[in-house]
Amino acid sequence: MEEKKVLIVGGGIEGVRAAAQKAGAGNHVTIVEKFPTLGAERIPRDRIVTPDNAFENPELDKVRNSPNVEILTYSDLKKATQNDGKVLAKISKKSLRVDNTKCNDCKACIKVCPVNMYDDFDEGFTFRTAVDYFNSTTGEYNIFKEDMPVCQRTCPVNLDIRTYVGQIADGKYLNALATIRGRLPLPGSIGRVCPHPCETACNRQYLDNPISICFLKRYVADVELAQNIEPAYKTPEKKHPEKIAIIGAGPSGLTCAYDLARMGYQNITIFEALPVPGGYLWVGIPEYRLPKKLLKREVDLIAAMGVEIKYNTRVGKDITMDQMRKDFDAVFIGAGCHRGLKLQCPGEDEYQGKGIVDCVTFLREQALGQLPPAKGKLIVIGGGNAAIDSARVGWRMGFDEVYILYRRTKKEMPANPWEIDAAEHEGVILQYLAAPVEILGDGNKVTGMKCIKMELGEPDASGRRRPVPMEGSEYTIDAEIIVPALSQGTDLAFLGENSDIAVNRWNTFDVDDETGMTNVPGVFAGGDVVTGADIAIRAVAGGKKAALGIDQYLRSR
Amino acid sequence: MCTGRVDPALVAGAFKKGLDGLLVVGCYFGDCHYISGNFQARAKMDFTRKLLKHIGVNEERLAFRQCSSGEASVFVDLIGKFDEKIRELGPIGGGGDRLKAPEIFEKIGTAQAVLAGEKIRWVIGKRTPFLESGNMYGEIFTEHEFNRAIDMIIVEETEVQEILAKLRQGSQSVTDLAKALAIPSERIFRYITALKRKNMVTLEKVSGRSPIFQLAPQEV
Amino acid sequence: MIYEKNRRYIIPFDDVPADRAVMPEISVDERRGNFTEVETGFPEDVAVNEAKRCLSCRRCLGCALCWAECKPEAIDFGIKPREMELTFDEVVITRGQDNAFEKINAQLGFGNYADVITDLQFERMLSPTGPTDGLVVSPHNGEIPKKVAIIQGNVKGGDDHLLSSAVLGVNEAILAINRVNDLEVNLISPLCQAFKDKFSDDAKKVAGLTIIEATPESVERPQEGGPLTLTYSQNGGSKKDDFDMVVVLTKPKIAPEVAALGKKLNQDVI
Repeated sequence: MEEKKVLIVGGGIEGVRAAAQKAGAGNHVTIVEKFPTLGAERIPRDRIVTPDNAFENPELDKVRNSPNVEILTYSDLKKATQNDGKVLAKISKKSLRVDNTKCNDCKACIKVCPVNMYDDFDEGFTFRTAVDYFNSTTGEYNIFKEDMPVCQRTCPVNLDIRTYVGQIADGKYLNALATIRGRLPLPGSIGRVCPHPCETACNRQYLDNPISICFLKRYVADVELAQNIEPAYKTPEKKHPEKIAIIGAGPSGLTCAYDLARMGYQNITIFEALPVPGGYLWVGIPEYRLPKKLLKREVDLIAAMGVEIKYNTRVGKDITMDQMRKDFDAVFIGAGCHRGLKLQCPGEDEYQGKGIVDCVTFLREQALGQLPPAKGKLIVIGGGNAAIDSARVGWRMGFDEVYILYRRTKKEMPANPWEIDAAEHEGVILQYLAAPVEILGDGNKVTGMKCIKMELGEPDASGRRRPVPMEGSEYTIDAEIIVPALSQGTDLAFLGENSDIAVNRWNTFDVDDETGMTNVPGVFAGGDVVTGADIAIRAVAGGKKAALGIDQYLRSR
Repeated sequence: MCTGRVDPALVAGAFKKGLDGLLVVGCYFGDCHYISGNFQARAKMDFTRKLLKHIGVNEERLAFRQCSSGEASVFVDLIGKFDEKIRELGPIGGGGDRLKAPEIFEKIGTAQAVLAGEKIRWVIGKRTPFLESGNMYGEIFTEHEFNRAIDMIIVEETEVQEILAKLRQGSQSVTDLAKALAIPSERIFRYITALKRKNMVTLEKVSGRSPIFQLAPQEV
Repeated sequence: MIYEKNRRYIIPFDDVPADRAVMPEISVDERRGNFTEVETGFPEDVAVNEAKRCLSCRRCLGCALCWAECKPEAIDFGIKPREMELTFDEVVITRGQDNAFEKINAQLGFGNYADVITDLQFERMLSPTGPTDGLVVSPHNGEIPKKVAIIQGNVKGGDDHLLSSAVLGVNEAILAINRVNDLEVNLISPLCQAFKDKFSDDAKKVAGLTIIEATPESVERPQEGGPLTLTYSQNGGSKKDDFDMVVVLTKPKIAPEVAALGKKLNQDVI
């Protein structure tokens, strides 16, 4: 038999067993384990032991001593790609920062180290210090230094939260703002709308409550406004001549442009279908959460770096994708998810545009001042943030009564809890465990909706309990406007027919993890057109990734 | 001599002997003969005050003030005000402090051990480089972050030094230590296992159902 | 108080607890009929106070004290990571030694009481190279327990899980009883048929171990300083018993990044 090269991911008991088998069969084995030691001295779970042999593992000795096994501890598998039946693996063996061949185990370093940490190897029964051995039998002294604190690691754009929050604590607000702008060009906007995954991860929650990171970001952005400071974003002296087209002036496109401009690209053109910038931040997030004036200012700062924004220019209509690819050296697609999905219930098609308006259209037309004055009652269907936004917008517009219908309970609602509370607080009527049955109308326009009460049954694949209709519980709500707010999808009509850019079954693009490039060289994508409808900060992250990818692509040409 | 050389452990020693107040008066920033001595003095007194507060001594008993040698009236004023403040607080371990005598003196002894320890002295010495040029990884600290690092050492080292001081008096079980020190027993357990890991504490014997721990010989 | 959650150790600083800042808002009456921004932003003092709540989470400080103390000069901050690109014919993906586990029934007190520990922690405690040198002690008070319960934390984890965790429980009981004089261990779990068929007889022979086929419901400490009270249901009835320490059997969980890798390479994780 031919000798094969086998990669074993994980050096626990299963990994060591697999390694012993594969090496025993004459293969060359590499084990990648993220901790500094192999962890196979475990109590068996498949046979009853006697006290003296419980922790013995003959396979471990075999693996440690085998010439056919290479053990890469304290290593991460960074990337694995399949190609032609082979797997190409990028592995990084982290630095222990201690030369264990010189170490004499005197423990002097452990005694003086001022930092106590959770001891992974002993499941937290003791503290380890920042410099310490890992496994008392095998040693492996190391200095453990996490790359980032948990907030920064959780943030999709890895904002240096610890630093900017510390700068605010020190009273250095503008320095904090500069720290944020190092990675994020829209601090005032994101500081208002972000659902802040960083706070969900914040360690302080285990003591009392997480730090209010998002609003602190907003605070420093507001300080600059209050002090009437007009910053100028700097671009480097050395310029690159290549032309880059960006589709969509939303968070991902703007960030991509900002990062490229900071790298020295001076021919960046953003094509925006709407007459306004910001994408969903402008036409999806209502004014009462994010004032347009403020968003406009942040966009203007980016434009002032030499980024051209062509408004009212719809790709596929005003310029074709093919033309764009010919005219520009690289294209970034950040078109977002601006198509509201349908309810799929009787009467919906008949009254489309006659009282039925999906949430994306509803919010956009409101933001652009295209909606007729409010009259009568409004029903919003759905439980996400777009549903809450639509209802709160409707309430402000002056509808007599505003309803939200959601088929599960408040607990399962995907919208941010603070948004749900605010809607209730303002007087939006939330009807939980209710679903639409039929749109009612008089032939010309919507007059109401037939609904049915639901109850929660067994959990479904997502783990949430499935709502089941309660027979005979139908009821009717009168309404003039009905806004389905179920989910948003992409609209990729701009690609044109016979496009060679691959689209997956969710109608989004598959892009390279590291560069954001689509299957077509030179065409990149990021934001909601890749992730599906998602939060703004992840779109920003998509734009950043693509900016790096574009630079790498153009510089290696 | 420069105020930068006033050793925090010396300050704690003075309070341990029953001193009610200590005023450290240095020259103005920018006037230091040794360039940064008075900055160091302030940093040292700041965290000493923090530590005093942490263990239950009113931190107003220690102050750092500045005046030049030519400013007699300023000096008199400083002394007068400080004197007034200390009179208001009364004798150490009385109504002015969270801890009362005689426990307060035992605690100050712990503080002295913390201040004499290498950890805090070394890290305090790193203040300027951490804030200006960065640590070993090139990371620049904010002041808040640096203060948190000092707070961390104060919280943990105080507890560890208390445990070590008790063990110096004789071997003890976790439960005994918890009773004597008013630290939750689960934290004591964690510290004891960590000290064992550093070879500073060993298991002496098991008495009934209680493991008894002792200091390692070199720590006595 | 326990300061460890999700494998993080957090210091109980002097300024804990402190309230999180509340964002000021305009009143509901001011909102109707207009689109004025609802949230008005933190005032300066609130923002600074909120920022000061940040724990500046611990890491190696990079202070190099260890480097200064190291006589053999083994510590070297300049050692670089090694980057490799390798090609393989075959990949085997395993769980590794993350020791992540599925959520335990919150009623069982894990995370609230220091003497409610996982089977993984108990395994470390029983290891001769473990943190207590093989001594079985309660992490709550450092005393050697007289009576220990090993209970199932995932009663709906499926038969495979019930089998392997029960075998682990029996093994841990054997080791603990071997280490401690007069130790009584109760293993309380629903049992699958496979366990009854293959292991029940051997388990019954272990002196000091009692196997109770039941569902653990809750663990409480009714009295500060007293033992833990375990409530479990058996044959439709509810029973209570006191223990000095409780070990919860966990169901291993595959870390999301490992699962994602498996999905990407079209492979099962073993």
